[in-house]
Amino acid sequence: MKAAVDERLDGLRGSAPRLTYSARSLAALENNPRCTLRAVLDASGSDKAAIAAHAGFPTPFGQSPFAIARGNVFEALVKANGCAELIRVLRETLKLTLPEVAYQDLNDVGGNASPEVRHSRTRQLLVNTALGKSPGTLYDHPMLRLQVGGHTVFLEPDLVAFRIEDRFHVVEIKSFPIIDGRADAAQVKAATTQASAYVIALRAMLADAGIGPDAVSDTMLLVAPKDFTNSPTAAFVDARKQVATLTRQLTRIEHIGDLVSLLPEDLTFDLAIDKSGRALRPAEELAEALDQVPALYRPDCLSHCEMAFFCRSRARACASLDVLGSAVREQLGGIDTATMALGLARGELTPDADQAEMAAALRHAARLRTEVLGQADGAGATA
Amino acid sequence: MVWSMSDPLDALETRINQLRRAIRDATGDAERTAELRAQLRRAERAWDALVDTDDAPAETHAPPSAPALRMGGAMLPAREHVHRVLMLLGVPAAPKLIVSVHEAFFVGELTAAKLSSLRRDEERSYRATPGSRPYYLCPALAYDLLSPMRALITVSTWALEQRIIGPLSPRVDYLSSAIRVAEAVQAVAGSSQTGPSPAALRLLWRFAASIPDAAPTGPASHEHPVDPRQVMDAAGAELQVHIDTDRADRAAAARRAHRFTDAQQLFGAPLGNVSKHQAEA
Repeated sequence: MKAAVDERLDGLRGSAPRLTYSARSLAALENNPRCTLRAVLDASGSDKAAIAAHAGFPTPFGQSPFAIARGNVFEALVKANGCAELIRVLRETLKLTLPEVAYQDLNDVGGNASPEVRHSRTRQLLVNTALGKSPGTLYDHPMLRLQVGGHTVFLEPDLVAFRIEDRFHVVEIKSFPIIDGRADAAQVKAATTQASAYVIALRAMLADAGIGPDAVSDTMLLVAPKDFTNSPTAAFVDARKQVATLTRQLTRIEHIGDLVSLLPEDLTFDLAIDKSGRALRPAEELAEALDQVPALYRPDCLSHCEMAFFCRSRARACASLDVLGSAVREQLGGIDTATMALGLARGELTPDADQAEMAAALRHAARLRTEVLGQADGAGATA
Repeated sequence: MVWSMSDPLDALETRINQLRRAIRDATGDAERTAELRAQLRRAERAWDALVDTDDAPAETHAPPSAPALRMGGAMLPAREHVHRVLMLLGVPAAPKLIVSVHEAFFVGELTAAKLSSLRRDEERSYRATPGSRPYYLCPALAYDLLSPMRALITVSTWALEQRIIGPLSPRVDYLSSAIRVAEAVQAVAGSSQTGPSPAALRLLWRFAASIPDAAPTGPASHEHPVDPRQVMDAAGAELQVHIDTDRADRAAAARRAHRFTDAQQLFGAPLGNVSKHQAEA
């Protein structure tokens, strides 16, 4: 059964090399779990950016190079001189005691930066620390491993801190500011989701050594610039909900076979790339293939999914209310498209029983709008 | 340039280093510290007197305390700049810190880019003709694998223990550098008319900000400059917490490293040895 599913997924991907999950694509699992298109593309390891570009909807901007550079500079600043700034911040928030300053650099092992070597070193150090066999506090860029749908994914948190007689805390260093104790909600959520993947991977690693999940805190520590300065500050963020959601999504990946079995046998997203690197598959044919998989577009897809522009154009084409975001969607419960909403508002469509209430509200709104616009027009005419 | 060093200067430098260590260990014992400091001052004065009669090469072997007072040397090659900074700090340091310290206390141009090409040259030069230079700039060594930690630079004339980085060493070295920088700021303040440079004060302030009780507190604390004495005391106090464990870690690693070849003791063991040494550790 399992092998058959893998075969189907390979077929969907076609000739392209398999892409593994990253912290970003794992986070997307939690952001839009009900989107079948994303689930199928991710599970098959397809190159979403290439597919979207070939279907005519290239992502016009990747992650900003300035944002990446800024992030790296801030992280280097926080970790400079034996993590001097970070230690100050962790002493304030995590209440690290004076002797807890031990630092292990896991960016490479004796010059070898291969993920496998770094992972085994990470496991050796963290397990010994958890068992109390060797002291240790700060672990810089440990390499964690997670099995997702039968494939190995390597994950690399910014830092993991261990407090004596306590447990591991995932520390995420981000360059967006915390101003007056508040930070941008969307960015905090993205950071928390990423951290929840680390929490799950860390727990899985310790579980192999017979250590329970309590050894890893599900509250993550966000280190970010304070106000408008470059000086770091930290805040605890509760990641319990995201850890739970992501755990659930990860177990559901195992059921990807159920989704795949609903798709046509011969469906594939193969771009048929030739030796010179050109995609030979006709774009219309690819778009048709994509259209056979239901997608669930939401405006925030734009910030994390490469297929977002494709899905948005599809949602717009059928005047779906998804384009307007979840707030509008919930307000207009029971109505799926803008066409239907407008029809009801103008009284051109007859509402059925469960739409009656919504139709009355829409007609009322339409009347208010005409009144306001009429006044504005009148004012404009006399002026 | 003449590379041979006069013996009395050598002996004095060793003495100065010993005294510094003793002062650090004696923190808390005011009477003993005062006496040691007096001895240190005498040794430094003697060194100054000796070196003044000496000529150019002495510049490159400036002891930790003196370079702050001895500007000049703007035309020195980059490796001499780095050596001078490392002798001031007395501990392995990252290129960024080396550049900051250089800007704070010395003249001449030194950039991080220059530093990275320098490091490759050093090992090549050593392998071609070992021992032809009085010192080499080497990477620090990781305590567990004795592999090179290229982000940290040391001087080959230091003892092996001094060039090894254990789990606590990053913090210990940070605190030691804070003390050395504070001493240098104090020395400049006491000797020159212009006082310490803004870069030096900024550097000291940055150290003070992340050491408990090192920076002035209370209202209007921004208006008070950081007191080098306070930084030394605060850093010394925290240093006491870590120093014994750190020294034991480094010493144990150094004992293992003694079986290595000279080149490996300076530039690190190849990764091929990893599993073996890891198994023994």
